Amino acid sequence: MGIRRALRVAAAVAVTAMVGAMPALAEEPGVTADTIKIGSFGALTGPGYLYGKLVMNGVEAVFDEVNAAGGIHGRKLQLVREDDRCDPAAAIAAVQKLMHQDQVFAMIGGGCSNATFAARDAIETAKVPTVIFASVHDGITVPPAPNIYSTALTSSIESQAQVVFAQQQGAKRIAVVSMRDAWGRARYTPLMEALKAKGITPVADEELSPDANDATAQVLRLKAANADAVIMILYPKPAAVFLRDAYKLGFKPLAVGQSGIADPAAFEEQVGVPGATAMFRTISQVKYTPDDPAMDKWRKLMETKFPGDRLSVYNLFGIGSAQYLVEALKRAGPDLTRAKLIAAFAGIKNFNTDVHPGPLTCSEADHRCHKSPAWLAKEPGGAMKVLGVTTVEN
Amino acid sequence: MLLFSYLLMSGVTTGALYALVALGFVVVNKATGIINFAQGEFFMFAGFVAWMLHVQMGVNYALTFALAVGCGFLLGCLTERIAFRPLAKSDIVSLVLATVGIAFVLRGLARLIWGGKADYLSFPPLTSPDPIMVGNIMVIPQQLAVLAGTVVIMAVFTVFFRRTRAGKMMQATADNAKAALLVGIRTDRIYTLSFGTGAAIAAAAAVLTAPLTLLYPDIGFAFFLKGFAAAVLGGLTSLPGAVLGGLLVGVAESMAGGYIHSSVMELSPFVVIMIVLVLKPSGLLGGRAMRRV
Amino acid sequence: MTPFSRRNVLLALLAAAILLPPFANVYQLFVANLIVIYVLLAIGLNILVGYAGQLAFANAAMFGIGAYATGLLQVQLGWSFWAAFPCGALIAAVVGLALSLPALRLSGLYLALSTLAFAQATQWVFLHWESVTFGAGGFKTPPLSFAPLPVDKPLGLYYLSLALAVALFLFAHNLVASRVGRAFVAVRDGEVAAESLGVDLLRTKALAFGISGFYAGVAGGLYSAMLNFVAPEGFDLFQMVLHKAMIVVGGLGSVVGSVLGAGVIIVLLEVLRAFKGLQEIVFGALLVVFVLFMRGGLIAVIKRHVRGWEEPLRLVQPPPTRPEAAPAQAQAPASVAER
Repeated sequence: MGIRRALRVAAAVAVTAMVGAMPALAEEPGVTADTIKIGSFGALTGPGYLYGKLVMNGVEAVFDEVNAAGGIHGRKLQLVREDDRCDPAAAIAAVQKLMHQDQVFAMIGGGCSNATFAARDAIETAKVPTVIFASVHDGITVPPAPNIYSTALTSSIESQAQVVFAQQQGAKRIAVVSMRDAWGRARYTPLMEALKAKGITPVADEELSPDANDATAQVLRLKAANADAVIMILYPKPAAVFLRDAYKLGFKPLAVGQSGIADPAAFEEQVGVPGATAMFRTISQVKYTPDDPAMDKWRKLMETKFPGDRLSVYNLFGIGSAQYLVEALKRAGPDLTRAKLIAAFAGIKNFNTDVHPGPLTCSEADHRCHKSPAWLAKEPGGAMKVLGVTTVEN
Repeated sequence: MLLFSYLLMSGVTTGALYALVALGFVVVNKATGIINFAQGEFFMFAGFVAWMLHVQMGVNYALTFALAVGCGFLLGCLTERIAFRPLAKSDIVSLVLATVGIAFVLRGLARLIWGGKADYLSFPPLTSPDPIMVGNIMVIPQQLAVLAGTVVIMAVFTVFFRRTRAGKMMQATADNAKAALLVGIRTDRIYTLSFGTGAAIAAAAAVLTAPLTLLYPDIGFAFFLKGFAAAVLGGLTSLPGAVLGGLLVGVAESMAGGYIHSSVMELSPFVVIMIVLVLKPSGLLGGRAMRRV
Repeated sequence: MTPFSRRNVLLALLAAAILLPPFANVYQLFVANLIVIYVLLAIGLNILVGYAGQLAFANAAMFGIGAYATGLLQVQLGWSFWAAFPCGALIAAVVGLALSLPALRLSGLYLALSTLAFAQATQWVFLHWESVTFGAGGFKTPPLSFAPLPVDKPLGLYYLSLALAVALFLFAHNLVASRVGRAFVAVRDGEVAAESLGVDLLRTKALAFGISGFYAGVAGGLYSAMLNFVAPEGFDLFQMVLHKAMIVVGGLGSVVGSVLGAGVIIVLLEVLRAFKGLQEIVFGALLVVFVLFMRGGLIAVIKRHVRGWEEPLRLVQPPPTRPEAAPAQAQAPASVAER
């Protein structure tokens, strides 16, 4: 090559290098001038899909509403879903894909407890702001990771509320029936601790499988122990089988549920025996049940967007959680960075969403923003009542 | 004594559920020699179809039953054509895997179509839901219906295998497929028939048990496991064995839960199985297996 | 001149695997490590199912036992990973040996069910023996450090896994060509004939179960270090199905096939993420398609088209192992047995 040509090539290379080396517009990953990419992880397939796919559907409905109104500071929200199949390894892969490959700005997710707990380290290391919308495992939020906040009622909060409620209702002989999976254990351990702290020994402690079709043995033992209140750490199906068999055997204790059974009307149908749910009281993470007229707006949105689906409590979890995220994004301002979003999370106090029974309050010290479980009861064949909200301090 | 009778009754009624699924396994195994890993999903899918017909569309119970069973039969025939016939000469692992693939497809479809409707779908019972007194214990009428259904299906199929031409053809095919062909039996039709029938039994089981078990897309697996266990326990080729195996599994669960502790309920069927298989490797009512040399 | 011969392709894959880390992001390295772990699982299972013909469903449980043993020895007894890991693998191997005892009396679907029952019992123990296994919530394992080597954990673990996979691959490769390997195949193809030739059934089956247990145990120990967390999920029947899928897709009775099968299935699972909620349907459909159209697995397809892929003792068509014998008992006794 001639000198001239060599010089021209060198100049071209130099200019390219300078342009390349120029600091890019300080854009955070996942944020462009008109979109914000939010990742979501949870079970899309497998039995955990209730706490993953359905909750994400609720989140998307909120995003749609926000986008229709112009977005947040002019940016539209985009949800990227990943499946973790309720498996710890798949959860780690899912969050890594979202954070390192899809380059999302923030995440809102977390269905199955063990899966989310396994993924916590990866999320914490990558410092991506994350809102947990359904996982109840205490280890996810305690001790707090700087970038992880939760709008789910954690298992220790609910278990404590169950004990407080049972005592308030005058129970003297408390028994426990629980499932032995990760979800169940996450609630069972704090329940036992709460009972011990109050000096109560359960008169019976039985186990029921999530797929159980018969609870005769368990009911007979609880009846023999003369329990007047049974704290149920069960999904709706085994709980329905339990109450049906309890009714059949003439056992009618106060049945204390939790947010796993958050829709007393649907539950009454599932139990199938009229009158069996008369003494059933349960916690809801959300104040309304899906057929409440206050939820009409969301029902329409959900049933239009996902034809064939019915509005469910799991959608409501997502709706409330997404509203929290949207509020934090608004407060973080138009010049959006991850650090600002995390600061906004911590700054949300007494924030009311459309669905939560009490206001959400977070702080730097305590990343569990939802501490107000609501108690629901339903007259068999009659109306739903909100019995009140138990606030748990700790 | 009351405790025992309650536990026995609950064991028998749950056992009847398992027996129904096991019957489906045995019918398929009698003709083809394999286990259909999609049997639980046939049960689940037919249950959902029945729900759609009866609860969503208001079709009456008898017609729903017939249509659901028909749908099950079709699913079975389809599975045979897709997964079994092309692989009939392959090794058993490939066959099993093909039926597993079909199971995944059915589960995904069910989740897609019905998964967003509720966490667990309830199905109205055939009889009144209030418990009734039988002797001096209370039972739920639907459980008696399931028990009756199990006995009827077992009786029908025992007669079918012993007395009808089709039944004897199925037995002949299972015995020696080549010889059956030589005698003029359309073995491919027999295979289709047996898969279809097995699935139809699963569908009938689903409609009978849906009021008791609640429907969700993942219900198939638990029934598959217990049903398979019950079928093997009874000897894979014996219909009464399937029923016996199912009842034994149910009663073992119930007794373990009542007399030991509820935490061993899930374990007890498998302990029973391992003991039985050690003592009698071909199951309780299975004949002595001949070894090929 | 066989440019795409088995050896060349394998060497190329190995080179790619060794050179991968600088080019991969965190997620991709994680998936690569997962593939290497599953290669171990697939080879072990293929030795048991493909070569020795034992229809066993306990591999996922052994995987879990390896993971739990490695993790618990660290957490409960304070051992370091480097001591706990080999012991964990050995424990899994011993459990595998114990499983060979029922295998003496049972075969076919009866063996399948009893190993399935064992797997369920193992799951039960993980869940209920809370004082030891921490129950359903699982437990975190101490972070692994490769000091004094200047590598961080993901990288170090990846290379450790790769080294072990290569070593165990070579071991399996030699095993199947040895007397022991021939004994496995003899047992698979006809137990009575094998016995009459002097093959000791107990020893052979015990070796097969023990070796596959060992492979699963090694994989389990690596898995526990990779996730830093051990819980009962992840060792269930879905896991077992994945293992079976790997060996069928790769090719039963082929060590190289196991490698290919593991890679294909894991990559498939990640690729299927794009289908979001439809994954189950697509995965199931693909499984059926694979099994129908790739008879004998990828290995068989490759052998038909590419030169240089012959393997010792790889039969052209694996003999049907369906228990046609079982219905044989239903002849004269049939009408009596039916009652």
